[in-house]
Amino acid sequence: MSVNTWLATGNFNTTYKQEQKTFFTSLDRSVFTFFLLILFIWPLIFPLSNKYMLVIDNVLIAIVAVMGLNLVTGFAGLISIGHAAFVGIGAYTVASFCRTIGDTHVIITHFWPVMIILSGLVGAAFGGLIGLPALRLKHLYLAIATLSFQMIFQWVINFMSFFNQGQTISVGRVFWFTGKIGRKDHYLFWYFIILTVVVLLGFGIRNLLKTRYGRCLVAVRDNDRAADAMGMNPGLTKVYAFALAGFFAGVAGALHAYLYRGVGFESFTLHESIGYLAMAIVGGLGTLNGSFWGPVAIKYLDLGVENLSEILGHYTPGMNLATALKPFTFGLVIVLFLMFEPRGIANWWRIIKSYTKLWPFRY
Amino acid sequence: MAHLKVSDVTLSFGGLKALSNVDMNIEPGLITSIIGPNGAGKTSMLNCISGFYHPTEGEVYYKDKKLTHASPHEVSNMGISRAFQNLELFSGLTVLDNLLLARHQNLTYSFLHAVFFYGKASRIESENRAYVEDVIDFMELEPYRKSMVGNLSYGVQKKVEVARALTLAPDILLLDEPMAGMNQEEKEDIVRFVMDIQKERNITVVLVEHDLGVVMDISDRIYVLDFGEVIGSGTPDEVAQNPKVIEAYIGED
Repeated sequence: MSVNTWLATGNFNTTYKQEQKTFFTSLDRSVFTFFLLILFIWPLIFPLSNKYMLVIDNVLIAIVAVMGLNLVTGFAGLISIGHAAFVGIGAYTVASFCRTIGDTHVIITHFWPVMIILSGLVGAAFGGLIGLPALRLKHLYLAIATLSFQMIFQWVINFMSFFNQGQTISVGRVFWFTGKIGRKDHYLFWYFIILTVVVLLGFGIRNLLKTRYGRCLVAVRDNDRAADAMGMNPGLTKVYAFALAGFFAGVAGALHAYLYRGVGFESFTLHESIGYLAMAIVGGLGTLNGSFWGPVAIKYLDLGVENLSEILGHYTPGMNLATALKPFTFGLVIVLFLMFEPRGIANWWRIIKSYTKLWPFRY
Repeated sequence: MAHLKVSDVTLSFGGLKALSNVDMNIEPGLITSIIGPNGAGKTSMLNCISGFYHPTEGEVYYKDKKLTHASPHEVSNMGISRAFQNLELFSGLTVLDNLLLARHQNLTYSFLHAVFFYGKASRIESENRAYVEDVIDFMELEPYRKSMVGNLSYGVQKKVEVARALTLAPDILLLDEPMAGMNQEEKEDIVRFVMDIQKERNITVVLVEHDLGVVMDISDRIYVLDFGEVIGSGTPDEVAQNPKVIEAYIGED
């Protein structure tokens, strides 16, 4: 039976292959494509100042990192408090190339896509290595093991002269087909690049979750004894989950390095790790779209608090309200989410979606 | 030749002997039951076979291959699958995904195929989906296909547990109290499935069960355990007349 895929209102699949599709109707697909198109062209129509473009780029990088964290913590259920260190591994992979071959070497400036992928792979290698304790440790103890990795990472960066003792290591400006990316276009250029990376990796995860390589993550989360009896090696699966998260973090780190044109250790501290974890929780652990909501919500909150304290600053001269308000609101939001919506914003999205699908009927 | 051979297995936890010098032969194509009072070591026996415990002494052989020190996933890849006594399902997944997880070893596409989800991955997934659907059909789980396992009733979850073990396409199926906590109707259902599994699918079944009526009706061989020792074995009739068994169940007069 051929069905009009534009007007389909239900599930008319007749083969199992049809059910594997990401978009079930042509309408779904075209709405999504349209949305992507808008994401790619709006900055050209409404140019933003560099300040706000930087915020948006930051959000996108956080999305890449949180996608990885969500795989290991949300899907595989292994709490990682060292995610910023993995992001740091990616950034310092680029930085160490800059230190050895010079920050304007052709590999850095022209072959940056290779550098980004390479950073991802280095991140994955470290992820797998740090995941090894997962063979033995569980729950909180594993979290402490990842925390120790965070500490070791900070210590190593701070004390090795190769890494400039954590001081900024500069990264050169990159080239595109049109030539060197100048100061004016820098943030816009990286917006497009990071957005492309986000879309590619997002589809990658979407596909992965439909296959054995995604299902095994959920299996070890829900019940690793049963996972063992089903013929998968739970230990290896956990290590693989960490490696996967490391890859995403590494890519995010390399993007961070190129975006800021420099790598300094303060972007990869424990504070940032907690931030990524908060984003994953607020967005919704164990969901793909949660990885998008979380960073957007947390970074938007940061920006809002900053602007608010600037306005309030007129009434309380001599006080920097931002330093007080930022951690306060950050903590408050996490507590509120844990109390009232532990499934995160992704759950709201689910509710809205099912509501609009049925509207105007109640159920 | 025995299919699965447990020879002289002793399992001790410190000073406690959960199993002592147990010998068992599990013949191909039959339903073999292991019965015994609470704490007799029935589940320990299954754990020894399926690799969750390793015997302190003695060996487990399957088709002349040693299983004694194999880990659970190695055992299951050899064709021995098990259903757990306490539900050990993946509660955050649908019934379909639970069963597809049991096809893990048969999904032989590479990581890159999975990431891009073209050709091979898509084809193998749908082939295995067809196999899973066959099991769903067999176990009459159609209405629950897309429900979260955690939200299903206990009886259905037990059925999913058996179905998942069956999806591994085993030669030997170890069932640990599949009928515990069920009402009469659900019990009859499961009994019917167990007999169908043996007859239609030609799978050797090892059944641990408390319901003696069921065990006596459907088993071909019975092993009776008490305090970790085999106190009687044979056909249901032989076991029913074994004075030691009667003593263990009813007590001395």
